[in-house]
Amino acid sequence: MSSEPLLRVENLKTQFFTDTGTVRAVDGISFEVYEGEIVGLVGESGAGKSVASMSLLRLVENPGEIVGGEVTYKGETIFGLEEGPDGELRKRDDMLSNEEMRDRIRGNEIAVIFQDPMESLNPVFTVGGQLREFIELNRDLSREKAREEAVDMLREVGIPDPEERYEEYPHQFSGGMRQRVLIAMALACEPNLIIADEPTTALDVTVEGQIIDLVDDLQEKYGTSFIWVTHDLGVVAEICDRVNVMYLGEIVEQAPIDELFYDTKHPYTDALLDSIPRPDRTVGELDPIEGVMPEAISPPSGCRFHPRCPDAREVCRRVHPENRVVDTTESAEPHRAACVKHDAFDVGYDESPPLEKEPQVTSEPDADTEAGVTGPGPGPGPGTGTGTGTGPGSSGGGGEGSE
Amino acid sequence: MGLLRYTTYRFAQAIPVLIGISILTFVLANLTPGDPVRLMLQGVEADQEMIEQIEAQYGLDRPLYERYLDYMAGLVQGDMGHSFHRNRSVSELIASRIGPTLLLVLSAYAFALATSIPLGIIAAKRRNEPFDHVSRIVALIGVSTPSFWIGIMLILIFAVQLGWLPSAGLVYPWWSPETYGHDGYVEHFVETIRHLLLPMIALGTLQMATLMRVERTQMIESLQGEYVKLARAYGVPERTILRKHAFQVAQLPIITIVGLNLSTALGGAVLTEFVFNINGLGRLFYDAIVQLDYQVIMGITMIIATMFVIGVIITDIAYAYIDPRVTYGEAE
Repeated sequence: MSSEPLLRVENLKTQFFTDTGTVRAVDGISFEVYEGEIVGLVGESGAGKSVASMSLLRLVENPGEIVGGEVTYKGETIFGLEEGPDGELRKRDDMLSNEEMRDRIRGNEIAVIFQDPMESLNPVFTVGGQLREFIELNRDLSREKAREEAVDMLREVGIPDPEERYEEYPHQFSGGMRQRVLIAMALACEPNLIIADEPTTALDVTVEGQIIDLVDDLQEKYGTSFIWVTHDLGVVAEICDRVNVMYLGEIVEQAPIDELFYDTKHPYTDALLDSIPRPDRTVGELDPIEGVMPEAISPPSGCRFHPRCPDAREVCRRVHPENRVVDTTESAEPHRAACVKHDAFDVGYDESPPLEKEPQVTSEPDADTEAGVTGPGPGPGPGTGTGTGTGPGSSGGGGEGSE
Repeated sequence: MGLLRYTTYRFAQAIPVLIGISILTFVLANLTPGDPVRLMLQGVEADQEMIEQIEAQYGLDRPLYERYLDYMAGLVQGDMGHSFHRNRSVSELIASRIGPTLLLVLSAYAFALATSIPLGIIAAKRRNEPFDHVSRIVALIGVSTPSFWIGIMLILIFAVQLGWLPSAGLVYPWWSPETYGHDGYVEHFVETIRHLLLPMIALGTLQMATLMRVERTQMIESLQGEYVKLARAYGVPERTILRKHAFQVAQLPIITIVGLNLSTALGGAVLTEFVFNINGLGRLFYDAIVQLDYQVIMGITMIIATMFVIGVIITDIAYAYIDPRVTYGEAE
């Protein structure tokens, strides 16, 4: 790992100005991506993951706007503010212009793989034509050369008969095949960083596995860095090197993958891990997170997770913890968490009385458990069969808890 | 199914439709109160014998179904019958009148398409900005104002008040400049345009307004599509997105509407021709209805119905050509 990160995000804030108020979708997140690594951005729906990733390309749609922070890519400023002579914040001079973003960054340097392979391809153009257009645009190749490159790339991502399929339209491709096309688009532009925004969410589990394997292989071959946006910790465990856990627009825990799983520091991450269906545990043992994530329009005071946190104490309602290094002993890489129960925060957590459980909106527990039944993969996990009574204690060691 | 087979198939499908229209028109025209012979003999002293003689001459004494079958037998041989009043064959009459009507309808469509698509795109791009609001109000007025009223207002303003443009008649570009005493083709062309301008706008406004509203909605939807987001994320310039990525998807409904609105345009042409005193099919149709000139009514209805059916078939073919998801009538 080189000392200078490929991408550095500092205190990034993106807000949406709606009629009902300001939605702080991304509220001061900081992270780095180094060359050749896969960084996870994990959280529930609405945590701000997608907005954060679109902010990196400066493609936040109205009424959203990046309002603060700094994004640096290879030493160039994608976004940065400074205080002007009048005291107002203004865009820095060294910030890349819209044209530079379009011509030099988007596609050539940072490419995206979107969530929905069904909607992301244009229905009235051939798959090959769309791929060729992006290659032509981002690599300055001639039409013929770009076409060859497109066919090669389709072959590379495992599409059979690429020559023929080049001429076909998106509706003639299955979901998995379209996602391969989107991956081909990203790789074919030879970017240094690919933002994968929940690329496997719309696919079924077997296809998801294939796509993840494919990305893993290609990442090794091309050495491209990835930001992998997902809500699925199972996927994160399989491919990520480091993980950022997001909750309500903030990063609450940041750690190398193994540390995150084996030495979890934030109660939210704990809760996420407990809510993953695993073959070695029955549905009854699943421990979904209580309640639903509040709206980013009026986040809770203090720690934003405190209304749902099993470890919450009185102090959590008052003190808003920043993401702070809580453990440096394990490795050279810092393990950060935004939770005051750690000694790094000296705000009197230990003396603080536990919070009375406030009545709150809970999502329907039935729906959660049902999702759990259908969730586990094809593993031989006992107790997940449908129809048979899932007796407690019937669960054996199901190996690793991957999906 | 290939394009040729599809086209043949669609034309074959159109035959029963046209037969249905012919039966309906034939019956309705003949059931209209009034007697064409008495109308013909207005102001002439005629006795019963003379009336019967004329009825027999035109076959009006025979039962309706016999007359219908007779008419159809003639029609398939290209004989559209004879006008009671004008004493000319119907096909000759239509041939002499169809030119101005086609010129009017096609130019109205050209005007509508040339204005509505750019305006719709700009309105979509500047959604909820002043331009969008103004264009929406104009479109609303356009769809809710009858074309003959627009025609009268245009005449009042541009012909009567300002005196810029002629208020009546057309100059037929297919006639030689000398017919009108024009000095060469340039003047001929300019005069053609000057005469065409007001009726074209009068007839085209409704189409323009309808198409603009659809274009705007479609473009807004298309611009929000994931494929547009993807194109932006890959650095495609905004104008390419507007012109290519979003545009092509948004045109599909426009094609359908152009085809279907052909009926309103042809209907509107009748009134527009009346207001602007243009000797087209519409005027002929109006006169034929007033005079109960059965054969002419039939002839024009069949021609208009055929044009409409062909228009719809062409739009269907164009649709399948542009949208790869639509095949020529065959499941994959």
